[in-house]
Amino acid sequence: MGIVSFLIYLSIMTGIYAILSLSLNFQYGFAGLVNFGHVAFFCIGAYASTLLVMGGVPFLAGVLGAMIFAGVFGFLISIPTAGLKEDYWAIVTIAAAEIVRLFFLNEAWLAEGAFGIRGIPQPLRALFSTSTYPAFYLGMVLIFLGITYFALRLLTRTPFGRVLKAMREGDDLPRAFGKNVLRFRMKSMAIGAAFAGLAGSLFAHYITFICPWNFMPIETFIIWAMVVVGGQGNHLGAIAGAVIIQVFYVSTRFAKDYIPIEAELLASLRMVIIGLLVVLFMIFRRKGLLGEKKRSYRLSGEG
Amino acid sequence: MPIVQILANSLIRAVELGLLAIGLTMVYDLLKFANFSHTEFAILGAYLAFLFNVTLGLNIFLSAIGAAILTGFIGISLDRAIFERLRGAGSVTLMVTSFGLAIVLRNIVRAIWGADIKGYAIGLQRPVKFLGARMTPIQMWIIAIAALFMVAFHLLLHKTKLGKSMRATSDNPSLAEASGIDTVKVIRWVWFISTSFAAVGGILIGLETQLHPQMGFVLLLPVFCATILGGIGNPYGAVVGALALGLVENFGLYFNFGNIINLGGVFNLVGEIYVPTSYKPVISFAILIIILLIRPSGIMGRKREG
Repeated sequence: MGIVSFLIYLSIMTGIYAILSLSLNFQYGFAGLVNFGHVAFFCIGAYASTLLVMGGVPFLAGVLGAMIFAGVFGFLISIPTAGLKEDYWAIVTIAAAEIVRLFFLNEAWLAEGAFGIRGIPQPLRALFSTSTYPAFYLGMVLIFLGITYFALRLLTRTPFGRVLKAMREGDDLPRAFGKNVLRFRMKSMAIGAAFAGLAGSLFAHYITFICPWNFMPIETFIIWAMVVVGGQGNHLGAIAGAVIIQVFYVSTRFAKDYIPIEAELLASLRMVIIGLLVVLFMIFRRKGLLGEKKRSYRLSGEG
Repeated sequence: MPIVQILANSLIRAVELGLLAIGLTMVYDLLKFANFSHTEFAILGAYLAFLFNVTLGLNIFLSAIGAAILTGFIGISLDRAIFERLRGAGSVTLMVTSFGLAIVLRNIVRAIWGADIKGYAIGLQRPVKFLGARMTPIQMWIIAIAALFMVAFHLLLHKTKLGKSMRATSDNPSLAEASGIDTVKVIRWVWFISTSFAAVGGILIGLETQLHPQMGFVLLLPVFCATILGGIGNPYGAVVGALALGLVENFGLYFNFGNIINLGGVFNLVGEIYVPTSYKPVISFAILIIILLIRPSGIMGRKREG
């Protein structure tokens, strides 16, 4: 792989993961939802879009379908947990992600099971040559990343977003203002899930081959590492975290070309480092690299 | 499959999960957070026992004892290095940190021992008939050892000064402190017991099946399920939860759900419906979600705020 095409590949993957990181940050960093199964929405988005587009639906409709399916699933799994503490959220979302993966692994009639789906169509493929198409795809991913960023930023600046942030610090205050915190939790779960579904769609049509092994639980952890390192509660932080972790993750794959190390050992050590990063950030810099911007409000008449 | 056999399988599964759930629920109760690295300590212990047993050629009992003690000290050290610095932080911070620690431990195990399946040097196990069920000698040992640990834990909790301090500290840390209990020491002991029990559980599972770096993740949901089922913070509940889960997991696969729809033969709407074996892990998730919907405090739990 030439250096330019490698950089384009890296940028596309970073863009897709940045959308995942933004969507998890929306749920965790803003609404305080401990979602340890984010990969489920990524997975559902990828499969939904693939099956829809291969069934003859236009690409953009496939993207929309991915967002709807993932969003509805996010809403559904928040039903049993909306009123419970964070610990239950964490465990139920992990369980949900495993159910989704086992479903796609076992139900071969729907999505080829363990063999995966090959030859996923790519949007506007015929208009470009093999060498120029990745550049177009990168542009498209960046546009979707921009849409995600501005949509979530807008959402967190509205009264809706302020309720989420209040809810994160405890249910009493928003309840006192008559807000239905359960409904807010379910909505934010669905919105975050829908954007993760969008990332899944972009992933599937880029890689053109998906199988349940793409959506292992470790992916969720990598997205968490992005949010923790970049800065929870900060949209730009989530993107920065995605860039740092993704560049580290992808570039260390080539370390074996320069130092004699087994691929298996390298893969383990890479995850040890990402895990340590998360632990160290939680101990020494919990707000991440960028951290949330605190807006200060002054009472009128003061100062 | 005869009912006795399913019961025997359920019991083996239950004692293994029970040892793990006791440790999880103790740390949960004392430090008020869900330790997502708990099952990784089990795997670490199981692999340390492999190191002593296979690599160094020691007897399996000595290896297991050595590995459990070593894992206990690793547990204390990691608490001092990581969780002690986060004592005042919220449960979410601790939970995310333990999630990170889980990934570190799992991948250290994979880096040292590789991803392929390993087993202890215990020879070929031939099943023998026991009360109508076929069990290997090692499976009988597993039940005996786990039962021994559970009884020891009960005695520790109720007959020793340490047990009393542990209960007092988890009920009300500041009151315990004021009454002259060295809570720092109590927390260390709880980590030691929690992680060494996890190691024993991991070794027992390794003895029955085999060792694999992903075991910790595979165990995570059943162990959490047993803990929540039994009511968080209740070690006896954890054992009961493990037993309930073991029974449902094993009977679930042999239960004809078609019977429910046909109202036990009154109608003939559907044929036989069984849970496919490939969905076995889903059973514990399904129970978990049902419990959360009906009674989040668990079957034996104290009432706690939602």
